[in-house]
Amino acid sequence: MEFNAVYFWESLQSGLTYLPRTMELTGIPILCGFVFGILFAVVRVYKVSFFSPLIAVFVVIYQGLPTVVALLIFNLMFMANFNAVSSSLSLGITAAQIDNIWIGIVVLSLQAICNIEEAFRGAFYSVDNGQHAAALSVGLTEVQTLRRIILPQMLPVALPMVTNNIVGIIKNSSIVVAIGITEVLAGASIPASKTYSFLESYIAAALIYWVLTACVEYTFRRIELRGRKYRRQLA
Amino acid sequence: MNGVGEFFSWSRFVDDIPRLLPYLPVTLGIVAYAIILGVFLGMVIALLRIHGQWFFQPFLRLYISFMRGTPMLVQILIVFYGLPIVLQALGIEANRWDKIVFVYIAFALNEGAFLSEIFRSSILSVPTGQMEAALSVGLTRWQAYRRIVLPQAIRIALPSFGTDFIALFHGTSLAFLIGVVDIMGRAKTLGASTKHALEAYLFIALLFIVASALLRLLFHFLDRKLSYT
Repeated sequence: MEFNAVYFWESLQSGLTYLPRTMELTGIPILCGFVFGILFAVVRVYKVSFFSPLIAVFVVIYQGLPTVVALLIFNLMFMANFNAVSSSLSLGITAAQIDNIWIGIVVLSLQAICNIEEAFRGAFYSVDNGQHAAALSVGLTEVQTLRRIILPQMLPVALPMVTNNIVGIIKNSSIVVAIGITEVLAGASIPASKTYSFLESYIAAALIYWVLTACVEYTFRRIELRGRKYRRQLA
Repeated sequence: MNGVGEFFSWSRFVDDIPRLLPYLPVTLGIVAYAIILGVFLGMVIALLRIHGQWFFQPFLRLYISFMRGTPMLVQILIVFYGLPIVLQALGIEANRWDKIVFVYIAFALNEGAFLSEIFRSSILSVPTGQMEAALSVGLTRWQAYRRIVLPQAIRIALPSFGTDFIALFHGTSLAFLIGVVDIMGRAKTLGASTKHALEAYLFIALLFIVASALLRLLFHFLDRKLSYT
């Protein structure tokens, strides 16, 4: 047994055809993560009653849960309960008609929301309290203060953490093979089911993920440097 | 599923606990091996990155980039399928090894890369003056490292180490995907034999949530205890 370049190339092509699936599995969670993550971070920073402790408890629970355990539990719940819920709401669809990629998207979205919420909350506290007081004292409203003073200052602090979170979501998206969703990792190992060239397949998958995460890191690094440039001009 | 009784029952949940707990040491064993080997490997790589010859650098950077840029699951699979082939070329027969050995190696290699970055940045964040002062009062380079630089670096590395440790603990839940019978693998076999996996998975979820919260508290406490400001 040794490394076979032909099988490797076959696996690479097969994996790449499933790249849109991985993009779907990471893009939607990242989008949800940004929208709800920032919203929830604001809710927690301003200590909105009822919602703030609710989010705090949820984040602690969900961040303590490994992705694969969450996937398996959500998958079982979905399989067992969807038909009952669907018929009671007379939606007219059954569990079999729904692509199980949505289970993966839900699990990864919740994870993205928790991680991005924590990153932004940390960044909020890094902005000095005086900034808030000064903005209010010159007559800005609370929303204006947040949008014009606080957010621009916290974004550079949050960015490296957010980059890590996005890379983490891309990497975690491979775990959905545990509930039988076909994405890059499962796609790359399709040829191996005939040729038993599993090593070639997994190296091909690794290569695709590596390029993907390297691109994300490079892009965000550029954005970070751009932000730093403005900072220097102000100082 | 309706034929086998209700979807979730507390009695099954309680019954599953003594069947699952004996497999917890397998999971903890992965964490222990990964952290011990990982700290050693990470320290070596960090020191090589700081003091090593220039020709080491591109290889180490490539290694760290690969380990950080690819999913843990893919790394486990590559070690599981690839290591026997590499070892066979060296004349060692690894096909019969216990699957868990590959998991130990995969996690150790991964931890080595992640920890080396944490160690490197924390060693570099100790002001150079500390090392120079230690050398100027007659300490050897090794003594200066051990008594002056490392204690300060450990203090800086602690929060990141805590986060990494919890991530490693979560990562061990992937080992069952190559057929290791740890607590997750046991839950899967229980699910297959009783047709009810949910209770076992929920118990594991609870275990992970409580353990993660306790670990986070522990590292928070250590962090406060070690800060001298």
